[in-house]
Amino acid sequence: MKMRSGEMEKGRGEKSFYPEYVFEILLVVFLTIELVLVIAMLYPQIIGRQIDFQAEFQPRPEWYFLWLYQLVRYFPGRTAFIGTVLVPLAAVILLMLIPFIDKAAHGRVKATVILSALVTAFLIFTLIPALGR
Amino acid sequence: MSSVFNWIDSRFGIREPHKKFFQRPLPQNMNYSYCLGGIAFTLYLISAATGVLLAVYYVPSVDEAYKSVIRINEEVFLGWLVRSMHKWSANLLVVFIMLHALRVFVNGSYRPPRELNWVAGVFTFVLSMASGFTGYLLPWDQKAYWATVVGTSMAGTIPVAGTVVLYLVRGGPDVDGTTLIRFYSMHILILPLLMAVILWLHFHMVKRQGISGGM
Amino acid sequence: MAKALGRNCKDDIYPMKRRDFLKRIVKSFFFLIGLCFVPVFAYLYPFKIKERPVRFIQILEEDDLPQTGVKRVSFSYEEGQTKINRHLFVVRSDEGLAAFSPVCTHLGCLVSWNRSREEFICPCHGGRYDRHGKVIGGPPPAPLNRLPLDIRDGRVYVGLKV
Repeated sequence: MKMRSGEMEKGRGEKSFYPEYVFEILLVVFLTIELVLVIAMLYPQIIGRQIDFQAEFQPRPEWYFLWLYQLVRYFPGRTAFIGTVLVPLAAVILLMLIPFIDKAAHGRVKATVILSALVTAFLIFTLIPALGR
Repeated sequence: MSSVFNWIDSRFGIREPHKKFFQRPLPQNMNYSYCLGGIAFTLYLISAATGVLLAVYYVPSVDEAYKSVIRINEEVFLGWLVRSMHKWSANLLVVFIMLHALRVFVNGSYRPPRELNWVAGVFTFVLSMASGFTGYLLPWDQKAYWATVVGTSMAGTIPVAGTVVLYLVRGGPDVDGTTLIRFYSMHILILPLLMAVILWLHFHMVKRQGISGGM
Repeated sequence: MAKALGRNCKDDIYPMKRRDFLKRIVKSFFFLIGLCFVPVFAYLYPFKIKERPVRFIQILEEDDLPQTGVKRVSFSYEEGQTKINRHLFVVRSDEGLAAFSPVCTHLGCLVSWNRSREEFICPCHGGRYDRHGKVIGGPPPAPLNRLPLDIRDGRVYVGLKV
């Protein structure tokens, strides 16, 4: 009863979190579960080969690590750590700093440039090994 | 039903402090792109639930890991589906975190006072990728083993501290049973717990700061 | 009233208030908890790992050695109860006989010998080595690991750290 009186205080067309949005949220939750179920049934996980210490094998990481896989090729010898540690770390830190970059003068432009650069780099370095198989 | 809830709540007191939260009005210009974060959270819950189910049959040892994964896929009723759902929900989780981040960026919803929530979001992103990396080894098959050899070797390239970090990650000089159990505990205990903590912070800030109305 | 007065009197005698002292105790407690990461690191670090001694394992007969060029040799050895299969490359060149580990010095993949290009190629990140194990392209930081060879009584042994 108490809940209902609270709802009455609001304007007629206004939605509140409960029940309007909770209903929509549950709908989305339901659809998400369906999505996972359907994809899992269409493309089930196969079992990989047993470990073989003698075969030359090219392991490929998950798609979201492909950029890193491609990146390490560009840093030979003792510079390897740039590709394996420095660049990924810098990317994550840059990503974290976006709200703080935004505060500076022309911040929105700077933040947009930085995020677009990160996204573009991610896409390019993912696509090179993904397509060049 | 509601009288039972009332009886419990008169002792527990969960309704009153959440009343405001449940009845709060939301920004008028919300659209379905605001669901992306919720979808990501749902996917996290799916991978957590299927992960718990997998943990019942999975054995984290060099001799048993591969066999137990075959058992899950072939003998356990619906085991193949649970395993596939785990894999796919994890993959989609990374996708939807990215999409959610893009939505937040486009709307400028990371602006004060929500900077920290963006940072928390980056942490969830990194944690989900780390979960993906540690989970990749667990089937202990050809792909898993060599991907982990390469992935952990990257830690070894750090100047000066490389070997220490490498040994710490692998639990020794090579990828072996020690590495497997290390990755297993990371994958099923440490990372999900950290993720839960970060997500709690994330949602607490959403609750406290309200949903951003956009630009 | 009397209680409040009593507290004031105490404050005059002791410069630090009881409450402030307790607060400091609480803070240093959390600091001590924070220090635990040092033993936790030590707990997680594999200190017990010792440098493994070099063991000579027979890989093939002297007659099976390549007259010239590169030969891929598979062999196995026992480690405890388990039989372990590995391979390596035996090379005979103008510099004599040499054995190379197939492990790429970049990030640990296994290289293969490309007969037509006359070089070792790592399938992972495109590392390339010549027949002497020297890096000729790609990201590897060091030449292929050269293993000690020993020929006794017509048998070829190779030294491995196992």
